[in-house]
Amino acid sequence: MYIAEENKNMDTYDAIVIGSGISGGWAAMELCKKGLKTLLLERGRDVKHLVDYPTANLNPWDFELGYNNTVAELAKDPVHGQIYNPGNKHFYVSDTEHPYIQEKPFNWYRGYQVGGRSLIWGRQCYRLSDLDFEANLKDGVAVDWPIRYRDIAPWYSYVEQHIGVSGNREQLSQLPDGSFLPPMELNCIERHLRDEMKKNEAYAMLTIARVANLSRGWDSRGPCQNRNLCDRGCPFGGYFSSNSSTIPAAMATGNLTLRPFSIVTELLYDEQSQKAKGVRVVDKLTHEVFDFHAKIVFVNASTIATAGILLNSKSSRFPNGFGNDSEQVGHNLMDHHSSAGAAGYHEDFRDQYYKGRRPCGFLIPRFRNLGADEKLGFKRGYNIQGHGERQEWSDRMNNISGFGKDFKAQLTTPGPWTVWMAGWGECLPYYDNKITLDEQLKDSWGQPLIKVDFSFEENEHKMMDDIKSQSAEILERAGFKGVNSFNYKKPGGSTVHEMGTVRMGRDPKTSVLNGHNQIHAVKNVFITDGSCMTSSASQNPSLTYMALTARACDYAVAELKKGNL
Amino acid sequence: MNRRTYIKSILAVGVLGTASYSLFKWLDINQPIDVKSLQGYEPLIAELAEVIIPRTDTPGAKDAFVHQFIIKVILNCNHARQQQIFMRGLEDLEQYTNDQYQQSFLKCSQAQKESVVQYFSDHAAYSTELLNKVQKRLWGQSFFTKFRNLTVEGYCLSEPGATQGLAYDYIPGNFMACVPLQANQKSWATK
Repeated sequence: MYIAEENKNMDTYDAIVIGSGISGGWAAMELCKKGLKTLLLERGRDVKHLVDYPTANLNPWDFELGYNNTVAELAKDPVHGQIYNPGNKHFYVSDTEHPYIQEKPFNWYRGYQVGGRSLIWGRQCYRLSDLDFEANLKDGVAVDWPIRYRDIAPWYSYVEQHIGVSGNREQLSQLPDGSFLPPMELNCIERHLRDEMKKNEAYAMLTIARVANLSRGWDSRGPCQNRNLCDRGCPFGGYFSSNSSTIPAAMATGNLTLRPFSIVTELLYDEQSQKAKGVRVVDKLTHEVFDFHAKIVFVNASTIATAGILLNSKSSRFPNGFGNDSEQVGHNLMDHHSSAGAAGYHEDFRDQYYKGRRPCGFLIPRFRNLGADEKLGFKRGYNIQGHGERQEWSDRMNNISGFGKDFKAQLTTPGPWTVWMAGWGECLPYYDNKITLDEQLKDSWGQPLIKVDFSFEENEHKMMDDIKSQSAEILERAGFKGVNSFNYKKPGGSTVHEMGTVRMGRDPKTSVLNGHNQIHAVKNVFITDGSCMTSSASQNPSLTYMALTARACDYAVAELKKGNL
Repeated sequence: MNRRTYIKSILAVGVLGTASYSLFKWLDINQPIDVKSLQGYEPLIAELAEVIIPRTDTPGAKDAFVHQFIIKVILNCNHARQQQIFMRGLEDLEQYTNDQYQQSFLKCSQAQKESVVQYFSDHAAYSTELLNKVQKRLWGQSFFTKFRNLTVEGYCLSEPGATQGLAYDYIPGNFMACVPLQANQKSWATK
């Protein structure tokens, strides 16, 4: 049904997807499955499932320096060197090669490769609920989400059924159940905490994390082998990534063209049709510039980069950036905070242990501000994520003194049971938390450097105080000893949940995207990565990006067929 | 380093120096160490590590080549200042051993070696948390704490340490959430 000449011409496709991470992979798969010749552009190198996981099968002793980074690496990568280790370093960018400007401390962690950060994500999958979708409207904060839970619920199911999410159904209105594979299991101390909380807590309860790790074989992948080495890429396909799932599925249709090393510098606007006609790309290796054309464009470059591309795409129609009539592009940057929490140990269950390394912990779903009447001094809420374990050598070495035989004996036997937990908290959208483009400084490809200006505000700080005290009290009531509450005060970006720079909304004057993730003024451009989020909620957001992407693809293809795009 | 930090450091050296066996030669502290002279200490490092994690019914530090790990990490993963502190710690230890027993650490009896390590273990930290914090901020971990931690890391990540000293489960397959502790159960090498 598509014009034959176009398919022969390598510059022209039915659809272009910018970015191959968790949402871009989904866009590519959905569009390809619906028959669109799709060009998937990725700025980094190719990473093939199984083939390009060089450390996946290594033992601890295969790393010459253990898990230590070198002084030279830390000097070259002051930001990413804090998060990578020799096991997963190859999935993170180098700060020196890919600089950005921090107006205030902000960790912008990136993985420029096919699959993006879907290779190294935390795999937590939680649905948003109407508590979240209605929050801005009820609180009078920012703008209202243009969708409600009923709009996205079937798409959550659709995505969960494809990626495989293990979890337990709990019938909570603030955290809707999904289509789950059998749950991972809680260990002894976590069961104890769960049971104590049932007795002690009015609202807070504990459940196993809901994760995209396969508790049984699924879609020709897995099951998870409980190695807990996910961030090296999984040789068993035990967790969902673009590489293990959506990109191979897109490839299998015969409709996908994957082009790595393709840095998208701007979207091209066609004044006559008032649509995007395509994108401009600079080749990472040769620095050559290409234009690619398509009927529709999906922008999934990740929250900060997507806003950067829009701001860099200037035309007489859009002098301040593509689709930026509202002047909101780049603003309202959010990241969950995950600095505050508590830890403690328990004296019982000394005769119990576990076998295997479960790749997740537990979740205490949001239990604050569920009603409108709570007077906590802050808006919204948080969920608590944590895990229980017996102290192993890496913890014990800091807690036992001496040397010699006794020291060795203690070091090599299981220590007391401990629980560590911290609150993943909602961050409100503030207009002043923003990204902009530097007017002078450019990267190696001649593109303006991105400036990030972000800080947590009073609402987040008050929430962190509440997390500290609530976490500590929950543990103390459950009989934990030595309970120590903390606030690591990590800068923004540290949770790697950037969101909000191209928000959805109902009014073109105050938002960039409509309820179908279309740019209000340019209907053939869809943006479905984290930048579209109108509020952050407190749930780990990737599942929502995937669901919004699948939903937007369905709509886009229907509109295309109707001749509306 | 600016002047103010320098003066603060000098004052701190005065305070901390009393607890350290020898005074730091401040002006040299930011010079990288000579690789060969660290490698020259390899036998001492191996012996010290073995006192910390001796061979028992399972391999010890020497069996796991922990000394080679320590040298590599000190050379590649530590700043000049941390390297200097480590080297001076080794020098201090040799000096102390000589003063006590009129011979080098390597020639000492097991009891003498343990007594030397006991001395450094006892003096690894100050009695007050505040001084420890000051020390950590200025110098990083004390020599002995650093040495012991590196020994632990090198041992537990090594093949003999992980597979014999600890319990190593390369591909667990299942996760068994609650199992009774076995007799002589070692803790898991990885988590």
